[in-house]
Parts: sequence; structure tokens; C-alpha cells
Amino acid sequence: MLQVMGQTRQVSGVVTSAVEDQGLPGVAIVVKGTTIGTVTDVNGNYSIEVPTDATTLVFQFVGMVPQEIEIGGRSSINVVMESDDLYVDEVIVTAFGTSKKGAFTGSAAQINANKIEMRPITNVTTAIEGAAPGVQVTAADGQPGSSQSIRIRGFGSYSASNSPLYIVDGVQYSGAISAINPIDIESVTILKDASSTALYGNKAANGVVLITTKKGRPGGGKLSVNASFGTIGRAQPEYDLIDAHDYYPIMWEAYRNAIAVPGVDDPADVTAASQDASDNIKDELGYNPFDVPDDQIVGTDGRINPDADFLGDFANDRDWLGAVTRTGQRQNFDISYQGGGDKFDYYASVGYLYEEGFIKDSDLRRFTGRANVNFQATKWLKTGFNINGAQRVSNFAQTGGSTSFVNPIRFTRGIGSIYPIHLIDEATGLYILDDNGNLQYDIYDHRAGGASSGRHIVAEIDWDEDKDETTTLGARTYAEISFLKDFKFTTNVSWDQQDLYNVFYNNPLVGDGAPGGRVYRQFNKRTSVNFNQLLTYVRSFGNHNLNVVLGHESYQYKYSRLRGARTQQIADDNTELINFVTIIQSDSYSDNYATEGYFGRVNYDFANKYFISGSYRADGSSKFHPDNRWGDFWSVGLAWRLDQEAFIQNISFINLAKLRASYGQVGNDAGIDYYAYQALYSLGYNNQSEMGIIQDKLEATALVWESNNSYDIGLEFGFFDQLFGTVEFYHRVSDNLLFDVPLPLSSGLDSKTENIGTMFNQGIEISLSWDAIKTQKVRWNISANFTTLKNEFTKLPQEEIIDGSKKLMEGRSIYDYWLREWYGVDPDDGMALYRAEDPDDADNRIVGSDTLTTDINNARYHYAGTAIPDLYGSFSSSLSAFGFDLSVMFTYQVGGLVLDYNYQSAMSSGTYGTGMSTDILDRWQQPGDVTNVPRMDASQTSNFNATSSRWLTDASFLNLRHLTLAYNVPASVFGKVGMSRARVYVSGENLFLLNARKGMNVQQNFSGTTSNVYTPSRVFTIGLNVNF
Amino acid sequence: MRKIVYSFVIIFAAAVIFSACKKEFLDIYPTDNISAFGVTSSTSTAMAALNGIHRALYVRYGSQGRGGIGAWYYHIDEMGEDHVFNYATWTTHLRWLHRGANDSYNEGNWLMFYGWIANANILINGVGDNTSGTQEEKDIIVGQALLYRAWCHFNLVQMYADRYVPGGGNNQLGIPLMLESTTEGQERATVEAVYTQINTDIDAAILLLDGKPRTNKSHLNVDVGRGLKARVALTMGEYATAASYAVQARDGYELMDSATYFLGFRIGTESNAEFMWASQITEDQTDKWANYGAYVSRNFSSTSIRRNPRSIFSVLYDQIAPTDVRKLLFDPTGDHLNLPPGIEIVSSAARFPYTNQKFIAVSTSDSRVDVPNMRVSEMYLIEAEALARQGGNDAGAAAALYTMAVARDPSYTLSTNTGQALIDEIMIQRRVELWGEGFRWFDLKRLNLDLDRNGGNHSSSINNNLMFVPAGDNMWTSLIPQAEMDANPNMVQNPL
Repeated sequence: MLQVMGQTRQVSGVVTSAVEDQGLPGVAIVVKGTTIGTVTDVNGNYSIEVPTDATTLVFQFVGMVPQEIEIGGRSSINVVMESDDLYVDEVIVTAFGTSKKGAFTGSAAQINANKIEMRPITNVTTAIEGAAPGVQVTAADGQPGSSQSIRIRGFGSYSASNSPLYIVDGVQYSGAISAINPIDIESVTILKDASSTALYGNKAANGVVLITTKKGRPGGGKLSVNASFGTIGRAQPEYDLIDAHDYYPIMWEAYRNAIAVPGVDDPADVTAASQDASDNIKDELGYNPFDVPDDQIVGTDGRINPDADFLGDFANDRDWLGAVTRTGQRQNFDISYQGGGDKFDYYASVGYLYEEGFIKDSDLRRFTGRANVNFQATKWLKTGFNINGAQRVSNFAQTGGSTSFVNPIRFTRGIGSIYPIHLIDEATGLYILDDNGNLQYDIYDHRAGGASSGRHIVAEIDWDEDKDETTTLGARTYAEISFLKDFKFTTNVSWDQQDLYNVFYNNPLVGDGAPGGRVYRQFNKRTSVNFNQLLTYVRSFGNHNLNVVLGHESYQYKYSRLRGARTQQIADDNTELINFVTIIQSDSYSDNYATEGYFGRVNYDFANKYFISGSYRADGSSKFHPDNRWGDFWSVGLAWRLDQEAFIQNISFINLAKLRASYGQVGNDAGIDYYAYQALYSLGYNNQSEMGIIQDKLEATALVWESNNSYDIGLEFGFFDQLFGTVEFYHRVSDNLLFDVPLPLSSGLDSKTENIGTMFNQGIEISLSWDAIKTQKVRWNISANFTTLKNEFTKLPQEEIIDGSKKLMEGRSIYDYWLREWYGVDPDDGMALYRAEDPDDADNRIVGSDTLTTDINNARYHYAGTAIPDLYGSFSSSLSAFGFDLSVMFTYQVGGLVLDYNYQSAMSSGTYGTGMSTDILDRWQQPGDVTNVPRMDASQTSNFNATSSRWLTDASFLNLRHLTLAYNVPASVFGKVGMSRARVYVSGENLFLLNARKGMNVQQNFSGTTSNVYTPSRVFTIGLNVNF
Repeated sequence: MRKIVYSFVIIFAAAVIFSACKKEFLDIYPTDNISAFGVTSSTSTAMAALNGIHRALYVRYGSQGRGGIGAWYYHIDEMGEDHVFNYATWTTHLRWLHRGANDSYNEGNWLMFYGWIANANILINGVGDNTSGTQEEKDIIVGQALLYRAWCHFNLVQMYADRYVPGGGNNQLGIPLMLESTTEGQERATVEAVYTQINTDIDAAILLLDGKPRTNKSHLNVDVGRGLKARVALTMGEYATAASYAVQARDGYELMDSATYFLGFRIGTESNAEFMWASQITEDQTDKWANYGAYVSRNFSSTSIRRNPRSIFSVLYDQIAPTDVRKLLFDPTGDHLNLPPGIEIVSSAARFPYTNQKFIAVSTSDSRVDVPNMRVSEMYLIEAEALARQGGNDAGAAAALYTMAVARDPSYTLSTNTGQALIDEIMIQRRVELWGEGFRWFDLKRLNLDLDRNGGNHSSSINNNLMFVPAGDNMWTSLIPQAEMDANPNMVQNPL
């Protein structure tokens, strides 16, 4: 039979597995709509004759998702096949190795590159939020490049660090996470339990975040270009504050009530006080922005003069928040290429990012580069290197100090709405221009004390500078020697260095540098070197599989700082030290830290059904006294693949059932002073030309690391090939907790460090993933995770420790509020009422059966709730249809309380000049008023404004954390250009927040308090991703 | 052959794995601290520890409103009636809001003084036979440390306990006496016991320091010891002792002449024979916003001074004789047209009546003023007041007062006042002379007088209506800081 031979051409390529980075033999390839087909060879290569009118090739392999690829005009088509049974075959990165998820006895979650690549993420810790149960984060600071704080399975320490250990490409990383370009990241793995983290010994107690960068895949090269543009704004609006027409009367009332209160004091006194207030309130506040005389702004009836309109330029010059904020822009370009052959693979990338924060003069410009090459030199020798560099230049908003004058959030939130930004003639209302006809900032002391008088955030942001230039370099290299068929000896050497150069300049006209001008220059250098040697043995005997690793590792860290500062600027526009006259600081110091460890791990499984793994590490740290320096850390993990048992395999709807449990002991030495055990005197207390030193701390030779004993038990399941999930219970006991045991202040020191506490964290983690629709054209996955957390102290160094708004006691958690008990407002006179401690005090009032007081010093303290939520987690949906991909994630929290200090400041009963919340309009005004806002009264601020349970607010929230909509451009559009894939997308972060109070930064702190920080950002981007 | 190579590799691998790093790999020491062991092993390191205390008197303790002993002095002054605010800023002490158990100044001052005591105790108890160095060097160190301990206990007991009632038997609760390095919470000793210990320490110090030299006036010598003895005796009502020691203490010092006095209190106290003990601040050891001079001087350009230059109580000002040089140090118009040469005030500074130019910072941008810890004029005032209150020696009192008063006012004539009138005249002179240096409120408390700010230039709204506090009110004694109450089971709180 003659076959009709039309015109054909050859198409070839290599098919690889996404799971194992290797060529896949036996993949069936068919030209769609025909019977023309072939199969890949042992290396995954294929070659097929394709009719010129053919459009699509279909690739199929058992256990993998079939793919239909448009041919376009290409003659070389490489395909990556993804596992259909994603769950058990997913490879997760673990300590010193990798594991298939189905075989893993520990508790871990992994975020892969595809979840990161289209999000406008600058710092990869952002990708961790919501990704797994048991992981809690705080809201990211709006300063571009900021990291989010992460807590894995609760709070394991009180005085030492609670942050997880960051491992980048196998080595402890102490640099900035924002120096790593997210495009370079292959996966982020979160290790949660003792069994998975024990190999990190005395650093593992708070969990481990493993970041693995990309390496090349075999096959012809692939070039990927990514470009995105976006805008950055505020994720949360500001608190609602009253405007000028309400401001004056409120402040008037504070003044008047401090002298005499209507309905309470003699009416003649009240009348006199009201007149006094009308006459003098302007002097207190400093500015009259209205077109009526100073003593007629507020009438003696306490109302704003109905004829009061803004005078001239005052009307539009009072938006301080608007003057310091902007819509930032974000631009990002990345180019990466990778490829490989039989003996080598390579990955390289270059990236550029420019991101502006929504506060003026805060930004990040970043260049990154990376090259990762691996070479199988001979059958028994493999080596490679992974080199990366980054240059970041950041300008910072001064949001570090919550109460500092130069904090733009505090300043603008804390200023009344009557104050102009520029100099205005109070008589005419017109701007006072300088000799060049320009507006001048009002940097003088005209405002009331509560309004940051004498300081000017707009001028200071404009004229000051705080800039970091940071260069990060990292290199890793290794040699892997295979011998005797099953053995492998590997040695890894890594080196990371981060050099930071900072200039911090204060102008001579207004602010901390006035008069004269001041500049600090600082140079910090951080270097870490890690060297390890590993011996691995992998062997299978029939149904028995054994994997053994032995190793030795040493780690050294050095931090050096050099600082100089001078005042008295000579020439404008020059902020080098040489341009200043008077030295005010010149010093340098360095810190060193080293650890060393020996470890081993054995993994054994029988028939892929029963798994057991055990690990051990002995670790020594330079922070502890030589007698107490070394510790032992270990773990045991078990897993049982019920789904491999015959009796389960008969139940058809169960795809996966894995029961696992682990127990282990790990340590935490992070956050402990480098020289914790040493008794020290501080240098730097010189008295004129004589050397001076002063006592710094007592010795603590008995100090050791904190240790965590934890166990967990979990069930991983999969039903109907659709619903997958995990349910687990964890219990983590932290022992030998370090406490700065408060000393009586009369001893001259406020504390001494000891290991003397015990605490546990426990809870349930549930994660669910439901493939609602899984067809060729449409895929829809919905997932959710839920976590509960109970945290409790079981042993403390003393009966109670009061720490700010919290009190620690056995039986209580780390974040239980201990506050004075707010009761309400007395309708008779508007005084704030608290529950009384001393029942016999003369100032007490009795209401029903409650003994109350108006004196804050007699207000009783009580446990008022906790900052720890009842439940937290995330919901996500991922929908692909007709070339579109839509993914959405919500994060949420139910329960917990926030102590809203920011709101407290905005509800002051009488600080002249400060910003006031609109809720202050509900204040008590005359006898009979029933309200929960006390009267305005400038003389009662210590009693009314005091910190108490009045400021506790529900911490529940729902946040639309990110949303990405992508469109995969069909091959027919771009095929001839040689592209293999093109994608256009829009993406956003922090798009919508629902919480108990507008303006409240509900996720600011694990401890539940709010302060003046750089509130989080909302990001919108549109982007294009193209692969060649 | 292959087997040999492989065996070699295995042995090599094992050797590499199990070769430890050097033992010293994990022995690491700080670069910005030194070990506490050995501080008292030699007089040179012990002297460094003593100098650390001298320096600690003028460093910043957290907030800029807590610049060491200088801040203590102006806060004490603010609590009296002679120190007038012109604007409501940094008003905690003016309004007597400092005494709460949770107040940060309250806790900070307690810890500050006890911190200096702790450093002193290390020297008192540790410098001895095992310390290398001469006996003279050891005496100088231990003597100064004893004086510091006494002086700190003295400041603490005056603030945190009820006043010393002259005549003895003061069994009311005082403060914990810290005589050793310990972290165990101590009980409050009685006020009597505290004063007994203070005197014991001063007496011992005087013996050690007698005849010994000192590097400069930031160090304490026997004269400072005797001056402190006189000051304490005056507070205790032991007038004979006070007068006698005041006379001994001032031997070798001279009152400033009017021309020097007019230049104002500044840096450079080393060459000013009037100063017995002062904290001397150099250019690179300054804390620009927290210095004493950043709050009390007239010419430094801080927000505080521009908005709230400090004024003298007009009622007191009116009592200063017109020919007295001190009249020139306060300007009832606030214009300060007669500043010392080379001194200027920035144009944006607000002007108010009765502001002082007693304290003069280096410049509008350099807030340094040496902190006056003890001056010889105080010695004359102590002698005069002690003799006058003792009774039976009004002539002696008037003579002592005369020497100081005539140095300030060439037209001053020997006082013919006697009895209460003489005492009143001496107190006026004392208030004017020691204005801003941290004395008036302590004087009111020790003499059991009311605080009365009425009748002059105090603004009741700035003072938050605190115009009068009767003697003996609980408010004269601060509460023990809550942190001490929490950590010290033996501590007893004062009445609210």
C-alpha cells in the first residue's frame, strides 16, 4: 500500500522528567490527529517526521501529565513531563540531601519556583506566608526588600531568637534574604519537626527554611526573560483622624475641662474657664488656620465659630501624610538561561529590580547575577561551583524608632489637622516666600508640643539621607567522589560576604543635625565560611533500602564595624566626613562566632512501605563556656505507607495513606550574646584623656543552648485522586529557656542571664488540597490550611515576670496580656474608671458591686486575653482554563487580641497638637452622657490615656494576600520567533484587608502590639515572561 | 591496585571527617569589652574602672532627657518653686509626675545610682592586698569609690524615703544599703541606718584621701569628701558638724570674682578655683541632646531651649540686690542684650521674661557645660545656715555669709539680721546662688516646707495646676520602682 507522502520535516528534542531532571525513556510521542509516532530513547531523545500541516505533538507517559505542544515553526522541541501523582513523587529538599515526599518521615512543606515566579516578590520570605500550616508571619515592613518574621510551630524561646535557621544551598546564611533574586530560587522548603531538622543540631529548634537555587536541566539551552512593571501603595489606609473644624473645639474642651468641668464644678468657674479657653486655646496650639480672630475660633459654648473658614493658603497646605507619601513604582527585569548535557549542566542569570516604597525617599535598586555549573568530570568525580553576587542600594524611611521625631508614620499620624507644612503669614494667610520666590518649610517652633514642634518631617525627608550600599558575594564549590559503587564522599566549601556602606546625614537646618549638620558613615562587613565533609552510602538489597550519611562541619562568622561621625558642615551638598569639622565618634569593633559539629543519619525502608530514620549531631558553639560547650541532638522518625499495604490497596478510593511520627531533641543558640558566658566590662567610658570602663554583665559559665524536645504525629492522605491533605498534631517543649532574670535594680544591674524556664507549644495542623477539576483543558485546585496553637510556660525563674503589656506565669502563654482593668466612663463626670486594687482608697467609687477608681496608680492589673490566635491559615485557589491561569490566596486569623498603642495615642484626652481619631468625637461632654470615651481634659492625661485593657481589639482578619492572572500566549502567535512559551500576567499583593479597626496594623507583631512602623505595601504589577 | 586506591580514599575520607578543628577554634572573645576578671588585679585597671564611673555621670541613659547627674540636678530644680517653665515641654518633673512606680525616670534614676554604687563596690571590696600598685594609688581609688557610694545613697534616700528629722531616731523605711556585689534583693534599711552608713563611708574616705593628689576636678579628693560630709550634716540638722566641715572643705579654693561669674557657668572648670568637683565634657565625649547644657543653658539651640528657656521665679529675682552680679544672670525682659562676649542666641528662640543666662553652652550647636557637682560657695552657705539654725552664733553666721555675698555684690554689708530673719536672708542667698544646680527641692524637703509657686511668674496651665504642695504630703517621696518591687521580695512600697 502506498502511503501518501506529503511534505514532512523533522522535529527532535529531549523529554525530561520534572521530578528527576533526567531524560525520560519510553515517552510516547504522537502527531495529533495521525498515527505517526515514536518513543524516546534511553536518554529521553526523540526524532519524528512531522507533516508540514501538522500543528500539535502529544507526549504521554504513564504516571505523568500528558502534554500537547504546539509545533509552531520549531524543529527542536524539548518537553518537561510532570508527575501526575504529584504528591508522593514530589522531591523535597531536606537536610543534606533530598527525599521523595512519600518516603519522608518528617514534617515539611515546599514552595516551588512556579509559585514564586509571577509574584512581584522582592524578598522570598514573602512567598512563605500562607504556604503551609504551622507557619506564622508578621506583616512585611513597607521598606522595599524587607523580610517577614517567621515563626514555625509557635514560639520556642523568650529571650533568645525565635526565627528559623536559614540555609541557602546547604549552608547557614546570615546575609540579607533580599540579596537573593527570587527568580534564582528553585524551591523553598520549610522543615518543621525534630526529625527533619535534627541534622542542624544546636541551631534547629525554631525550624529550618531551606532555600535552593536553580541549576541547569539536561537538554538544549533554555533562555527565559521576565519583565514587569508595577505600582506600590499603602495596603492599609490610615486611621480616620478629625479635621481642623473638629480639632479646635476638641482641644478647647481639653483646655477648659482641665480648669472646670460643666455639671461638676461651680458654674461660675465653668464660665470663666470657657472664656479662658476661648481666649487662650490658640496659644496652646500655636496656629490659627482660620479667617477669624484667635480668641473667636471656638466660642464659649465649645463650638467652632460657624464663620470660620480656612484663611488663604492654609486650606490646602495641611496634608502632611500626603506630603510624605507617593505611589511608588516597581520595575523588574530578569534574564536567565540554563541547559545541560550528559556530563554538565549550567544555570546563569542576571536581574535588575527597582522598587520604590510608598513613603518618599525609600527605595531599593538591586542588581543580581548568578552562575551555577556542575560537571561530571569522570565517572567517579563530580564538581561544580555556584557563584552569586548582588549589589543593592537602598534609601531608608526612618521608621525604626516608633516615637522618634523623624519617623514619618508617627509624625504624620501624630499631628493635628490645623498645621501648615510651609511658612504662611498668619495675618494674611499667604505663603511667605524666600528670596527666590519659593515656598519655605515651617521648621520653626510654632506648633504645640504634641505636634513635633521644631521638627519637620517633610523637610527632614527632603534634606536628610540614610542610604545603604551593600555588595553581597557568595561562592560554593564541591567535590563529589563516588567509589565502591555505593559510596560517595563529598566536601563542600562555601564563602559568603556582605559589605555594607552606610551614610546617615542630618541637615543643618532642622532635626537631629541642627544646627551645623551631622553625618555618620559606617562600614559593616560580614563574612561566613562553611566547610563540610560528608560520606554517603546508598544501597538496596532486595526490598531493603538503606541510606547513610556521616559528616563533619565547621562554620565561622565574623562581623566587623567601622564608624565615624562628624558635625559642623562646611559646604552644602557634600556629606563626606572631610567636609565636616568636629569629630564626635570614631570607633570600630568586630564580633566572631564559630560552631563545629559531627553528625550522622540513617534512613532505612522496607519495600517502600515501612520507613525509619534516625539522626544524631554533636554540636559545639563558641558562645558557651568550654565546660558546657558541646551538646547532643538527635531524632527518630517512622512512617508507614498504608496505601502500599494490600488491605488498603483494595480500597480503590484511597490513593495515599501515610502515617508518620517523629521525636527528637534539637537546640537553639541564636539570639544569645556571642560572649554570653563571660563577665565583662564595657570599653568606651573614657573620662577625658583617661581610660574608663564600666561593669557590663556578670559571668554565666553555666549557660547552655536552649533545647527543644518535640514529637509529632501525622496522617497524609489522598482520596479519589482528588482530595489530598495532611492532619498532624505537634507538641514542642522548649527547655533550658534563657531568661534575663530580672535582678533587683538595687544590685546595679537590671538582669542576669540563666537557663531557667520551660515552655511548650502544641497544636493541630491541617492542610487540604482538592483538585476540583482536572482535565486536559481545565484544572482547578482549591487548598486551605488551618493551624491551632497553644503556648504555655510550665516553669519560670520566678513566680511572675512582667514584660511591657504581658505577664509570664506558669500556666500562661508568652503573649498573655497583663493590663490595668478598664471599666468605662462615669456618666456623672466623664472620668475614666478602672477596677480598684486597693478597696479602701479615698478616690474610689462604688458602682453596684464594683469598686472602681479614677486613679491609674490604684487600677488593678488583670489577665485580659492573649495575642495568640485561636486559628490561622490561608485559602488558595488555582484555576487554569483556556490558556488563562488565575491564582488567589487569602490569609486569615481568627481570635487573638491586638493592643492598639497607635489608637491609644490618637485618643489622648489632652495632648495639644497631636493627631486625634474620629472616635474622640464620642467623648463625654456633660453629666448624663453614656459613652466609653472619657471627657477631654488636659490635666488628666496620666489617668485617662494610660495603657489598660481599654485598647485591646480583636485581631481577627482576612487579607487577600495575592492574586495573579496570567495568560499563556498561544504558540501560533509567537512560534516563528523561536519562543517556546510566552506569558502575560497581572499580579497583586495585599489587595484587600478586613479587620476590626481601620488603620490598625493587625499583623504587625506576634506580641499583638502596634507601633509606628512602615505599614505594609500593596503592589500591582503587569508582566511578561518569555522562554526561548 | 584499585583496591589500594579505594582503601586509601576511604581512610582519607574517614580521617578528614573525624579530624576536628583546632581546639581554640571555638574560643572567641569580644573586641568591645574586656573581661571583668582582673579589674581589681592592678591599680591601673582599677583606676580605669573608677574613671568609668566619672564618665558615667554624664552619659545618656536612654532618653535624651536622662543625661546622667546633670539631668538629675535640673529635674530636682524643676520640682521646686524657683525654676519656671515658659512652655509645656519635658514637664514630668515640673508637674511632679515623676514619682509613679512605673515612671521611666523613676526607674531609670534608681538604676542609675545603684549602678554607680555597684561599680564602686567592686573597687571598695576588691582593691586590696591582691592588687598590684602602690598603697597611695589604692587609697585614691578606694577613697573615691567610698565617696561615690555615700553620695549615691544620699541622693537615693532623699528621693525615695521620707525626710530625715533632725534629732535622730529616724526609723522610717529608707532605701536598701548596697555594700557588696550581690544579686539578692535587700531590705530597706531605716533612714537612720542609711545616714549612719553614709557618714561611715565618708569618714573612711576622708582618711584615705587626705593628702592625696588628683588628676583633675572630675575626680574626688578629700575636700570633696569634707564638703559632702558638710552637705549631709546640714540635711541631718547636725549643724555643728556641718559648719566645721564646710570650713575645712573650702580650704584651697576661692570664690569666683564678679567678672568671671558674669561669663556664666561653662566648660573649663579646671581653671576656675571656685569649682571643687565637676564633670568635664570634651568634644568627643559629648551627648549633644542629652547634656546638662542642652536643657538649662540659654544659648544652645535645642527645641527645648528655643521653646522653653528656663526662668527664675520672679519673686526670688526681686530679692536679688541690684548691685549683685547674679542680678545680671537673669533678664526680666528676656531680651538678653547683655550676653558675655562671643555668645549669641539664635533668632528663632522664643523670648520670655526672667530667663537665665547663668549657664552658657559652648555655642548654639555645642551644648557642653561642665556639670557643677560641688562649688566652694555652697560651703559658705552651709556654714552660714548651720550656724544660724544652731542658734547662739548669729555673728558667725553673718560673717560666713558675708564672705560669699560680698564676692557677688561689692555693695553688700555685713548682715545685722538675727534669728529667723538671718536664716531667711541666708536661704535667699542660697536659692539665688545655687539656682539650677539641684538643691532647692531637697532643701524644701529637709526643712519640711511647703512648695508654694504662687505670687510670681509661674503659669498654672504649664504647671498643670501644681502650684502648692503642703509639707509632709506623700508626694514628697517617690514610689519604689515597680521593677524593683517585682524582683525584690524584701522590698516594701511607699504609700501612694
